[in-house]
Amino acid sequence: MTTAAYPDFERLLDGRVACITGSGSGQGRAAALLMAQHGARIVVADVNAAGAHETVRMLEEQGAEGLALVVDVSERPSCDEMVATTMERFGRIDVLYNNAAVQMSGAVVDCTDEQWDLTIRTNLSAIFYACRAAIPHMLAGDGGSIINTASTLGLSASEGFAAYGAAKAGLVKLTQQIAVEYGPAVRANVIAPGSIDTPRFRKVLDATPGADAWIERLTGNIPVRRLGLAEDVAATALFLASDLSGYISGAILPVDGGLAATR
Amino acid sequence: MTGLLRERVALVVGGASGLGEAIAHRFAAEGATVAVADANGPGAQTVADAIVAHGHNAVAVEADVTVTADVERMVAVAAGLGPLRVLVLSAAVESSVPLVDLSDDEWQHVLDVDLTGPFRVMRAGIPHLIAHGGGSVIALGSTLGLTVAPGYPAYCAAKGALVNLCKQAAIDYAPQGVRVNVLAPSATDTGLFMEHSARAPDPEAVRAMVARANPMRRLGTADEVGDAAVFLASDMSTYVSGTVIALDGGLAARRL
Repeated sequence: MTTAAYPDFERLLDGRVACITGSGSGQGRAAALLMAQHGARIVVADVNAAGAHETVRMLEEQGAEGLALVVDVSERPSCDEMVATTMERFGRIDVLYNNAAVQMSGAVVDCTDEQWDLTIRTNLSAIFYACRAAIPHMLAGDGGSIINTASTLGLSASEGFAAYGAAKAGLVKLTQQIAVEYGPAVRANVIAPGSIDTPRFRKVLDATPGADAWIERLTGNIPVRRLGLAEDVAATALFLASDLSGYISGAILPVDGGLAATR
Repeated sequence: MTGLLRERVALVVGGASGLGEAIAHRFAAEGATVAVADANGPGAQTVADAIVAHGHNAVAVEADVTVTADVERMVAVAAGLGPLRVLVLSAAVESSVPLVDLSDDEWQHVLDVDLTGPFRVMRAGIPHLIAHGGGSVIALGSTLGLTVAPGYPAYCAAKGALVNLCKQAAIDYAPQGVRVNVLAPSATDTGLFMEHSARAPDPEAVRAMVARANPMRRLGTADEVGDAAVFLASDMSTYVSGTVIALDGGLAARRL
């Protein structure tokens, strides 16, 4: 039996470097703050420069180290540069958390080429670009953990999310491919958040007529009867980033208050 | 250790050996008071004694999950130790008899231990979790409950049914704060797989072959199962319920 050292549950990522896309707000920011508390240095990648800098300021406020990078993950050179800059600055990349995504609605016949292309590029191709760039460094280093954000919509279909659902489902299989191909050194897993109360969620809500009734219906369908918090998702990301999940790879972890179990 | 499970009692059913034993040790180290329940009473006592020798809290209960009165007694003992907040359903038997050769008795026994046992423990235990504002149920499934392997009809059926039973319990008791999840390990370096492979003509060859076939090129460890159980028992996973976490080095990803 392998006897590993007893894990230090307060410092689960000591000495590690985590690159988190979309960490200028919401779930990505919550993960950055939590992983940094556990000893990781964080690359805060976001298309929104102000958001990225704000997250780094928050990291520094808690005595942690972060590097803000303006990254458009839908552009391959931008992903390559993100990984290259991470290596230049920190010399290693232990965790790649692909959290950035766009959420566009539209049923199949209403989905324009532009919506389709942007969604597939941002929510699927981007993850391929980032993983392809990062995996060689993980293999040359101490291995790594890749965390890709799908959605309960990547597990089952929902009206009006044609491109989004397809991209997220593709992302699940891409992640499992990576798990199988690079198994001994690189773990790759999927987080599938349910309805999470983030600024983006609120923005969609504010534009929805009758939002209060809608929220009530939505919450009534969630077995735990509440929306998720960014911190709920961050805690699961921390688990997957750390050695606590050392034998978990190719797995899908819904963080959804039990919603997926009803489908 | 940081006390992630302080001030709660965990009932670990099947805690005398294998994965249940590893989970009991991990939970105790994280501050839980552990009731180590097993049909093997002396084995449960040995594990409880070892936990106490490490300066943590545990008691042993001899109880058989196939006997309803035993299950009710083990839950009562656990509930008497403090706020019962965690149930681990780890008692199981493995069976590898081909379907056409499987006797009624063996089929019945495998279902009784691997499926009805967890049902009995949840039925008796969940009201206590609810009474303390909620808690976490962790069932030990198997990758063989997600996919199948040649020659395990009773075991695969029981573990597959366990998954849906747990999802049902998850959605029914979520509003009262009870989370129910399944940990589905593949072959680990302790417990049923080691016992099963020990009966092969060359156990080491079997184990090496199974390790090679895994994307991580090794077996899982009991500690890794214990760490994942700590995650599910703790407040790290408060929005995680009704899920099945494959703990298998990526093995199931090839098939699902």
